[in-house]
Amino acid sequence: MDISRMSNTKKLSLCRIYFFAGFACLPFMWAVNAIWFLREAFFKPPYPEQKQMKRYVVISGIGSLLWLVAVIAWCVVFSLKRSEWGEVADKLSFIIPKGVP
Amino acid sequence: MDGHVSIEDHSVEDGSRTRNSGAAKEPRATNPSDNDPSTPMAAEGAGGPTPQPPPGRRPLTEEERAARLEQRRQRDREHMERQLEEEEELVLKYGAQHVIKLFIPVSLCMLVVVATVASVTFYSEKGIYLLYTPFHETSDSVAKNVMGAFVNAFIILALVVVLTFFLILLYKFRCYKIIHGWLIISSLLLLFFFTLLYLMELLRGYNIGLDWITVSLIVWNFGVMGMVCIHWQGPLRLQQAYLIFVASLMSLMFIKYLPEYTVWVVLAVISVWDLVAVLCPKGPLRILVETAQERNEPIFPALIYSSNILYSSLTMAESSTPSTSTTDNGGSHDGGEAVADPLQQDHHAPAPAGGVGRPTISTAPSSSRRRRSSEAEAGFGPEWEAGRQQREAARQRRVAEHGEASAPDVAGGGGAQQPQEEEDEEERGVKLGLGDFIFYSVLVGKASSYGDWNTTIACFIAILIGLCLTLIMLAIFKKALPALPISITFGLIFYFATSYFVVPFAENLASEQVFI
Repeated sequence: MDISRMSNTKKLSLCRIYFFAGFACLPFMWAVNAIWFLREAFFKPPYPEQKQMKRYVVISGIGSLLWLVAVIAWCVVFSLKRSEWGEVADKLSFIIPKGVP
Repeated sequence: MDGHVSIEDHSVEDGSRTRNSGAAKEPRATNPSDNDPSTPMAAEGAGGPTPQPPPGRRPLTEEERAARLEQRRQRDREHMERQLEEEEELVLKYGAQHVIKLFIPVSLCMLVVVATVASVTFYSEKGIYLLYTPFHETSDSVAKNVMGAFVNAFIILALVVVLTFFLILLYKFRCYKIIHGWLIISSLLLLFFFTLLYLMELLRGYNIGLDWITVSLIVWNFGVMGMVCIHWQGPLRLQQAYLIFVASLMSLMFIKYLPEYTVWVVLAVISVWDLVAVLCPKGPLRILVETAQERNEPIFPALIYSSNILYSSLTMAESSTPSTSTTDNGGSHDGGEAVADPLQQDHHAPAPAGGVGRPTISTAPSSSRRRRSSEAEAGFGPEWEAGRQQREAARQRRVAEHGEASAPDVAGGGGAQQPQEEEDEEERGVKLGLGDFIFYSVLVGKASSYGDWNTTIACFIAILIGLCLTLIMLAIFKKALPALPISITFGLIFYFATSYFVVPFAENLASEQVFI
């Protein structure tokens, strides 16, 4: 959809929907929200809905970054400690790489 | 507006109306000043050769007025012709741009498929086949295998035909909810289940370990975002990317689950079917298009890749039960279409006779018992069902230049001209059905699965050439056309020619150290 064609209220509501949906463990949605509405919220001449949009965009962006850090940290920890954790790690694993202890 | 100008306007293509009025304003503007006794003779500047003496202050006689009118009409006519020519040029130039705009997604889809086939061996492993292809080409004699392939292909064709007619029935009886629900289920299946499988094979192929938590997070995010982008509103690029990904997933399923010769025969048979279904007066796809036109609805925006902004809800027709792909017309009436709909309605209202989005075939609901009775190996029953649908959708391919003939009716609004023109340009995107993407990628992927890059590249180029030709024909005929036949024909010819003639030839040359 082309947001440049949409009315401001529509844009705001779209931004809001994306924002609230992202709370369901959907950092990707937050990331998309932040990137998509970034220009709208920050680099366009001000209009009344922009203030709220800015808030949504900023929080979405920060939220997705935090999620990213958390996921990376978990992946690193898991791949390093997988063999140590034994059975628990096996139950958690989706794919167990071959040939590596 | 002056009475003369508007009459003339009606005789001209709508699109140039506002421009014309702008042009006509100029000569018209001199008229009042002519008649106005207070202005000094402005008549000399009235452009063109004026045989009459400058009227100056006296009012024009009847003949003079008539003659002047005639001149103005002539000028306007020439102006209109010039503008028509310009517009035609614009259309053609536009056409080339859109060819390129279609090249990129088609190539991307093929690239994903080829990359996957080349790197992950899962998709070239034989052994598990679809329920609908009972002949597995296991015998030693080539003739038997080919026969088996033909029988398989006709079974599949029969299925496709049944599903198509079912879709048409559903559409005629306005069972939009069923179609819509179907589409949602299929895209759910595709976006979550197939993606999970794909991820699993990818990780296995690259020997990367991952845990359930991360995997479920990834699939959940990917799937939900995909559903939102395809069925509702999302950034355009993301939507296109998802469609390309989904199309390549489907192609991979086909490549994996169809036996060798069957793939080629199925491709050939499906393109013939596509030709018949789209061009014959009784063809199902044609019926679909005409019905949609009668109802003034955008034709099945789902399952269509559109190169312009006006995308509506595109969905992969993957349904867990029946295997038809449906384009969801009802989907376009969904809430998400808020922006798209008014624009599209505008365009479809005046003259939908021009290019229309291609309908894709919807699938018929197959019984779920099929799923239960299908083999348990890798659970490919439902996968196949989904594939089936995709194939249906694939069949339906129509490339249409949308909204081209229906230039917006700018009711004398000079001010509204700009945005209307922009809309027009944006609307005039070429649409290609996702089934076409799938079958193109199946061809190239299958060619690449044999390991030889020459054949792969030859098929790729053949398909692009076919696509170009199809688009040119579309620009000439301005109605929905099947995109499969030409490209697939070229692709098949190139494939067999390259693998049986060119490759041994090149190898011999290389071994003899002869360079040409």
